Amino acid sequence: MFRTFFKTGLRSFQRNKIFSLINISGLAIGLSAALVIYLIVQHDFSYDKFHKDGDRIYRVTSTIKFPDLTINNSGLPLPTYKAVLNEATGYEAAAHFETLNEAKVTVVSNDGKSNVSFKKQKERIATDNNYFKIFKYKWLAGSEKSSLSNPNQLVLTADRAKVYFGNIPVSELPGRTIIYDDSVTATVSGIVTSLQGNTDFIFQEFLSLATIQQKNFSNQYGWDEWGNINSSSQLFVKLLPGHKPAELEKQLAVIRERYRTKDKENPNKKDDTKHNLQPLADIHFNADFDAFNNRLAHKPTLYGLLAVAAFLLLLGCINFINLTTAQASKRAKEIGIRKTMGSSRPALMRQFLGESFILTLIATLFCVALTPFILKIFADFIPEGIGFESLTQPHVIAFIILLMIAVTFIAGIYPAFFLTRFQPVAVLKNQVINSNTGSKAWLRKVLTTAQFTIAQFLVIATLIVGKQIHYSMNKDLGYNKDAIVLFNTRWDFFSDKEDNRRFVLLDKLRAIPEIQQVSLAGNAPASNSTSSSTFKVQTPEKLVETMVEVKTADSNFFNLYGIKVIAGRTLAPSDTIREYVINETYAKFLGFKNPADAVGQFIERNWKVPIVGVVADFHPRSTQSAIKPLAFSSSRSMSRVIHILLPENEAGGNKWKNTIAKIEKEYKAVYPEEDFNLSFFDETIAAFYKSEQNISRLLRWATGLCIFISCLGLLGLVIFTTNQRVKEIGVRKVLGATVVQIITLLSKDLLLLVVLAFVIASPVAAYVMNSWLQDYSYRTDMSWWVFAATIIGMLVIALLTLSLRTIKSASENPVNALRSE
Amino acid sequence: MLLELKGISKWIEQGGRRNFILKDINLTVEKGEFISIMGPSGSGKSTLLNVIGMLDDASEGSYQFLHENVHLLKEKSKTALYKRYIGFVFQAYHLIDELTVYENIETPLIYQDIKGSERKAMVADMLDRFNIVGKKDLFPTQLSGGQQQLVGIARALIAKPELLLADEPTGNLNSKQGEEIMELFAELNKNGVTVIQVTHSEKNATYGSRIINLLDGHIQH
Repeated sequence: MFRTFFKTGLRSFQRNKIFSLINISGLAIGLSAALVIYLIVQHDFSYDKFHKDGDRIYRVTSTIKFPDLTINNSGLPLPTYKAVLNEATGYEAAAHFETLNEAKVTVVSNDGKSNVSFKKQKERIATDNNYFKIFKYKWLAGSEKSSLSNPNQLVLTADRAKVYFGNIPVSELPGRTIIYDDSVTATVSGIVTSLQGNTDFIFQEFLSLATIQQKNFSNQYGWDEWGNINSSSQLFVKLLPGHKPAELEKQLAVIRERYRTKDKENPNKKDDTKHNLQPLADIHFNADFDAFNNRLAHKPTLYGLLAVAAFLLLLGCINFINLTTAQASKRAKEIGIRKTMGSSRPALMRQFLGESFILTLIATLFCVALTPFILKIFADFIPEGIGFESLTQPHVIAFIILLMIAVTFIAGIYPAFFLTRFQPVAVLKNQVINSNTGSKAWLRKVLTTAQFTIAQFLVIATLIVGKQIHYSMNKDLGYNKDAIVLFNTRWDFFSDKEDNRRFVLLDKLRAIPEIQQVSLAGNAPASNSTSSSTFKVQTPEKLVETMVEVKTADSNFFNLYGIKVIAGRTLAPSDTIREYVINETYAKFLGFKNPADAVGQFIERNWKVPIVGVVADFHPRSTQSAIKPLAFSSSRSMSRVIHILLPENEAGGNKWKNTIAKIEKEYKAVYPEEDFNLSFFDETIAAFYKSEQNISRLLRWATGLCIFISCLGLLGLVIFTTNQRVKEIGVRKVLGATVVQIITLLSKDLLLLVVLAFVIASPVAAYVMNSWLQDYSYRTDMSWWVFAATIIGMLVIALLTLSLRTIKSASENPVNALRSE
Repeated sequence: MLLELKGISKWIEQGGRRNFILKDINLTVEKGEFISIMGPSGSGKSTLLNVIGMLDDASEGSYQFLHENVHLLKEKSKTALYKRYIGFVFQAYHLIDELTVYENIETPLIYQDIKGSERKAMVADMLDRFNIVGKKDLFPTQLSGGQQQLVGIARALIAKPELLLADEPTGNLNSKQGEEIMELFAELNKNGVTVIQVTHSEKNATYGSRIINLLDGHIQH
């Protein structure tokens, strides 16, 4: 019997090729897009899920509270580690590691003659064997116990070892030597395999912690400094089973209270720093802290994407169900005949369910064929390690099978139950089926409305996300971002010797006539790396203590970036911090309504530093974050970034290219051993909005697919209804209806559904998008035109879709329609 | 006796009034009869045929088919009964467009749970008998009206019914095709199949052994 279903199913597919293709491709597109989005989301949710006892692993973080400001830092004061080891209980292991900067690596050859160098090696940490007690690596050489116990020992991953040493067997690697930045020598003492699975722990080189505890590093690391918190100092603990994080947090508070640097004048002043335990599973998602500078995932976005995937899937299914059932009513006659042939209802139900299963099966096969293309479309957001083969994960296959069964049932159950209920005589006499009336038309209308509700919701969301991005990118950020290039000059982290070649380069650059302005300063006004300190100011009214972002500038810096000085003056050149220029927000924070009043106040650091100027507010980061107190100082030793304002580029001109070539030439003359890495400031700014851009692109695609699927549904529906009304159309035309009147007649009902969908979608979208915008300190508004454009655009698209069919039906010769019987 | 209708009436309630389609029909049909039901449009011919075929229920009266009291049976047993004993032929043929000639003829056998190999033999036999072997893989829309009706009759006969019900079997056919169909019916009747047909045509009615005239739901004597 199954074979017969298969046959009739396939034949009715062939007979209604276009209709079936619309039907099946809708489901297939929805299914594959949903699957791909699901894979993207699932990837992020799988981060660091593989660690043994991962639910007992925590990171100790710091939260510093000021009256108006909370600063989070993923690191903690260096001596905390030792104190935790000596004094705290309730944990199985505690491990400290320092993330290390990029370094030049020199691999010493066996004979010492043919050394090979690698520039800017990343993914390095300094740690001890406790790290390997928490995070389990497979040891290929050396051991957890001994490999990092002495200074200058080094453990490499097999991957990194291959880069440095080529294909030398692992057993021969221990004892080999590596030199970092021409100053630190380390001996390989162990080889491990990299962690398998999605992880933020991407470290490839493990230097023994004892190495950087040696004397010559004491100027970089404050091993006894309780007042310093740096995110490069990470502490992880693995709690003993049954112990709660709060217990250790309490002990950390006790430890901190015992050792912290107390205010000499006010020793009982409450501590503003608290240590918390952050679950391992939270690290990949929590934007309050960082994940060793790896990409963080934004949970609400991921959930949003999941919702989009669900929408697409739902749309595809609705479409499929809608069209399958519409198609099925055409077959009422067949049911009547089969019943007079003696078919029982169960047999007919089996037939319809069987046929809808076959259609679903074809759609699934389509979906599998489509997935590679969809993967290509989404290539920009797809993290490494996701591909077509990801579909073969057991839970994905199980999901697809479940979905197939569900869709089969929903799509098959209506014809199976509804159509088989009729008396055969009634069906054969054509008394029953006019699908445009009655309950089933109602159901179909609800489904179509639901489709367009989702589609229009997504359209509105897409428009608003796009509008916010446009707003962010074009907002007056408080500085110029065009025609500015910048690059870092070499900073030898390990060396005590000051590298002063940048001043030579600066003079040479000044001599290039095309360069408008040049500045040697710290980071650009907006950058990802920031540094903050606690500043105290005794204003006439009160003592104001707060965390202030500190930037380094020189006197040219403000001019070059067009940052307006609204009171006082800019910075005078200086070797060390002698004076500060603060931003307007800080001036207001200090209680000065008139910025000029802040000039002449003193910031109390180890010595009193005067505020000499106030600059207008600008955005030091994405417009998502609010502008916070900020201070500039001038310090030659901290100024390592060269900023250059390029001449105006004429259209299609080579001016920039030539100028940059000149800059590079000078650079190479001063730093022959370094690569020249120049970046355009406006590109840096654009990168702040990368995640928004990604969301926006993804949304655009999802919306496009959504509209496409909905229109397929609409098209299928109009094909179906016009087929049903062929006779009516014929009669109306004979009675004198015009083509336009007929088109109006056929389109009106369906367009009304689109309008109804808009009425439902717009308040929901307004609410959801409004709360999304709340995340942005500086945000665009939800203009009425977004909504107007949505409904008008949607109606136009719907009308065009409908016209594919209605025009043909309306202009057909009525005689053809009326000839039958 | 093959079947017996006693006091069969069928009506539709309209505004509290009973609108009779069939009124007090008493009819006994013996095995081997060839009955033609005649009467003007709306006289209740098709309804009577449908009641006999168990596709429609009467509002009142009793109906005995062989030893079963049809008016007391449940839907399921009725289906079992008519699929075993009755074959239907329709004016509009009512073939399934998605199925080939072969498969259309095969369909009733599937619903009687007859095995595949046996079905094959029976259908082949039927195709041969009606001389349509060459058309077995065509779809109904590829056939002429007369050919379609031949397939319809072949389908009605495949399960070897005792009774063949035909509702204006020649209504959509030209006179030559119609004649052929009627001759086929006469031949079937000779071989023992009871035939009841509804017809407008006096000429077709003459093929039968008995004529029943219906007027406004009554049998005219």
